[in-house]
Amino acid sequence: MNSHFQEDCIQILAERARRGEISRRRFTQLAVAMMGAAAVAARGTPVLADTGELVFVNWGGDAMTAYDQAYGQPFQAESGVVVKQDGSGPTEGAMQAQFESGKPAWDICDADPFSAQALGRKGMIEAIDYNIVDKAKMREGFGWEYAASSYFFSYVIAYDSTKFETAPTSMADFFDVEKFPGKRAMYKWGAAMWEALLLGDGVARDALYPLDVKRAHDKLAAFKEHVVAFWGGGAESQSLLLNGDASMALVWSTRARLLEQDSGGDIKFIWADGLLSPGAMAVIKGNPGGAETAMKFIASAQDPARQVVIFDLLGQGPANPAADAMIAPEDARFNPVDPANQPQQVALDMGWYEENYGPALDEFLKIVSA
Amino acid sequence: MRELSRSLLLLGPLLLFLALAYVLPFLGVLRWSVTLPEPGLEQYRVALSDPLVLSVFWRTLRICAVVTVLSVSAGYAVALLWVRGGPVARLLTELCIFIPFWISVLTRAFGWLSILSNRGLINSSLEGAGLIAEPLALVRNEFGVIVGMTHFLIPFAVFPIASAMRGLDERVLMAARGMGAGRTRIFWRVFVPMTLPGVLGAALLVFVFSIGFFITPAILGGGRSVMVAELIYLRIFQSPDWGLAAAISVVLMVSVAVFLALLLRRLSPGESR
Repeated sequence: MNSHFQEDCIQILAERARRGEISRRRFTQLAVAMMGAAAVAARGTPVLADTGELVFVNWGGDAMTAYDQAYGQPFQAESGVVVKQDGSGPTEGAMQAQFESGKPAWDICDADPFSAQALGRKGMIEAIDYNIVDKAKMREGFGWEYAASSYFFSYVIAYDSTKFETAPTSMADFFDVEKFPGKRAMYKWGAAMWEALLLGDGVARDALYPLDVKRAHDKLAAFKEHVVAFWGGGAESQSLLLNGDASMALVWSTRARLLEQDSGGDIKFIWADGLLSPGAMAVIKGNPGGAETAMKFIASAQDPARQVVIFDLLGQGPANPAADAMIAPEDARFNPVDPANQPQQVALDMGWYEENYGPALDEFLKIVSA
Repeated sequence: MRELSRSLLLLGPLLLFLALAYVLPFLGVLRWSVTLPEPGLEQYRVALSDPLVLSVFWRTLRICAVVTVLSVSAGYAVALLWVRGGPVARLLTELCIFIPFWISVLTRAFGWLSILSNRGLINSSLEGAGLIAEPLALVRNEFGVIVGMTHFLIPFAVFPIASAMRGLDERVLMAARGMGAGRTRIFWRVFVPMTLPGVLGAALLVFVFSIGFFITPAILGGGRSVMVAELIYLRIFQSPDWGLAAAISVVLMVSVAVFLALLLRRLSPGESR
């Protein structure tokens, strides 16, 4: 799911750049501020690298620029290690292929925590060294054995406010087509949809896990006639609402923000019952740049100012809670992990996904495509 | 004998390339299918009995069969216009074949989305004309997938059919006319049977090509029409189960190969070679 989300962030960046509304000035300011700090830091002891470079694997395109500016260049300035961006897309299968090749070319991957955990237990991912990576710079509950929390996004309810008298306030409203007429749109690859279905079926937020998949799928089977499309990408989810195909949709929070702007405020979104999803960095076992250097890179990316650059460019919520206060006040309401927003949401349980994602997705697709 | 070795020499690089780029990796896939996660035929049992895999196979075959029939029928009409029409008709047909042919599959899928969606060209015109009250569901379902795929594949049907039509001996048609047959009769009794090998060739090409479709169903299917290529992708990258992905690929390859062999056998007596 992360893979699809990351690709989407790249698209968002490209779209915003095209419209000339990307906060270039702020971006440059922050980058310059960081480079200055980094130049000072560079007088300290540089870390010793195996190859003198790291390969950071993300989802390509303009995100490569964003990650390079926010994380790569400052790290190079302070350590002398060049960080190359590789946009190949670290899906779970691709990371496994890297390890199994016996000579991985990748160091750090922007991965789903549960994928990293699953591969880690098979010995394919390096355990995070919490002597180097600072767990105190992560939100509680988001540091894993094989994956270091790096950002957040959320599956939120977005709706066309011109079509309803009152605003929806919960997942129960999302599934209530009497009170809120019109078609719905949901995510194709299951993630967060089971939680949404259960919330809509009356399960309390704190009683979701372990998920009652059977109950969720019964709900889905009964409700799916109201779903106009199961979107596979963020642009698709956006067009479903903008073109009037759906009156309400579960979309990524990064897209919800764009929807609000593009519709002149007609399309709104709520954080209530949002499903918070963490992104993480993971290191391939036997990585060419050496595990220690990779851990040092991950630690450097915990810097709150650098995470704010990523929030500004890609809309991803910072992993480090110290970054929340550094976000421009007018943008704070778009931060999924802002203290005002996070308590309204439920965080996806990566442990559950590690164990159950594959089989649950099969069942989900069976119902969707029946 | 010398002829044979010379042609082998000329074909050599191509055969070598095919062996390296296709046969070798396929053998790897074959190996995965019987060794992952453990040696045995378990993955084939799953591939042939799992309800999700079976339903996806069934949907893929059904959609591809419909698309093949539609593309070939439309392709026949287009080819007829292209080969036997007047100069203006020929030029127009040529443009209509080649311009879409050169446009990327992604662009075309999104184009169809904007034509077929709820506020798309067709629905808004019909609503404007007062013919319908509610928009018709033309896309984000199997119908949309079939429209998009057929549009993509028509040129691939046109080329073999047109070449069969061009290769037709004009004197046969003249003879039929000389014997007193009317236009309709000549068309159905002489022209169509003689171009049938081209039609079968086109059907083969279109069907085999359509089996591997990925982007068009993903965009126009509204997430509901998962086809086999997408299922294999899912099993390789998203929730990795390489053994099962490999087994599905092999089953697909073998069933297409068997189908091809059967069709080719039926096809070959009609050809002079």
